[in-house]
Amino acid sequence: MTNCDQFREMYEAYALDALDPPERAALEAHLATGCAECAKAVAEARWFVSQLAYLAPEVTTPDILKGRLMQTVRSEAKSAWPVSATAATTRSGIPYWLSAGIAALMLLTLYFAWDAHRLKEELRAATEQNERNTQLVASTQQERAATQRKLSEMEEQMVNMHRETAILTDPASVKITLAAQKIQAPQMVAMWHAKYGIVLTGQKVPMPPANRVLQLWLIPKAPGGKPMPSMTVRPDANGNFVILVSNPPVAGSDTKALAITEEPAGGSAAPTTTPKWVGAMT
Amino acid sequence: MFLAAFSPKDDREASPDAALVRLLPQNDVGAFEKLYDKYSRIVYSLVLRIVQQSGPAEEIVQDVFLQLWRNSARYDAARGPFAPWLLTLARNRALDTLRLKSERQRRLENQTDELFSVVVAPQYEKELDEKRRAERVRSLVGELNPRQKRAIELAYFQGLSHREIAAELNEPLGTVKSWIRNGLIRLKEGLRTAT
Repeated sequence: MTNCDQFREMYEAYALDALDPPERAALEAHLATGCAECAKAVAEARWFVSQLAYLAPEVTTPDILKGRLMQTVRSEAKSAWPVSATAATTRSGIPYWLSAGIAALMLLTLYFAWDAHRLKEELRAATEQNERNTQLVASTQQERAATQRKLSEMEEQMVNMHRETAILTDPASVKITLAAQKIQAPQMVAMWHAKYGIVLTGQKVPMPPANRVLQLWLIPKAPGGKPMPSMTVRPDANGNFVILVSNPPVAGSDTKALAITEEPAGGSAAPTTTPKWVGAMT
Repeated sequence: MFLAAFSPKDDREASPDAALVRLLPQNDVGAFEKLYDKYSRIVYSLVLRIVQQSGPAEEIVQDVFLQLWRNSARYDAARGPFAPWLLTLARNRALDTLRLKSERQRRLENQTDELFSVVVAPQYEKELDEKRRAERVRSLVGELNPRQKRAIELAYFQGLSHREIAAELNEPLGTVKSWIRNGLIRLKEGLRTAT
């Protein structure tokens, strides 16, 4: 049996993401060796799996969705990012350390823009090298994939930083102060933007025990509405953190309050402890 | 040979979808609208089938298309056709919501996925228009044994693993693995003979 034989029956399930973790890890380790035969078989299986989308009952897309989306897209096309010049100055109510954070984010954005440009040049050079020397195809493709992955990571970081900056500086964002409940700890601050999501920041936050995390919950206004789980975080060594929730599970207008509880690592689907910080929507 | 029927890379790079995606970094709203009009229906249908609620489904569809608009460089035409890329992105987002994964976790997983996300479409992809292909997929999967069909649906629409599906259907693990593999091979062969 060749090395590839043991993986032939896994291609379809891998493309479907149905392999159990040990099988998945074994196939990925094999793919990482650069096996062209298995890589091609997996790539083919991915196409067939994508066709399963047609099994979903056909439904019409709501017109309001297109209207909302096109409005955002047109507005962003007019100005690269919706942060106005006046909004770039510190708005009243934003603590000084948030302003410093925004400045740092902007500097990081410039750095990542430069680095992304450099990576694109590397990517182009790698592609040319690939064409010139067919004997090096396999290794070049691996380098290209690694560079491309890094570029994608950088671009995603840039997008997130732009988004955080927009949330923190746009006057349309709503500020929510989360006060500590029965513990000695500083308050946390959340900024909620209707389009771009929530940025939650904490400073000098007491470190949760090992294997425990802080989890954000959105408390719906609806009577009897259960808390909606959101992101989890562990503060850094100084007790600081910034998290971005780009897609809150409920709209701000439908939310009564934000709460933070301590949960097992990985988070919980429903709160298992009483909130340590709570902030009402204003 | 079957593999010889797969189209070369250059054909895919010249696809109309890839040409539209290339216009997005120039803030071409018209190109974006064409892609939305072409794919929003299948993307929304897929996401709604997975999350089962229109509110979250709309949020996910909006998020997927905004990611396309703001970060179109993440799609690389050299790695495969546009439609499977978009559908895979939408499916992953919907399944993440279903599993209540944290955004950080999802980001890490997306990075891993992208490393291996090359897609190769068969040549007959272009010969069979989308409507006929959709009908053919429904018909081929509809012909499967109902429990085999259910196993494939659990994997695709609920993101369950072989082991989880075996537990859900109370069937041996080996049976579930064969059902899924044979079902997809039948789909592959059926689509090929439809052209």
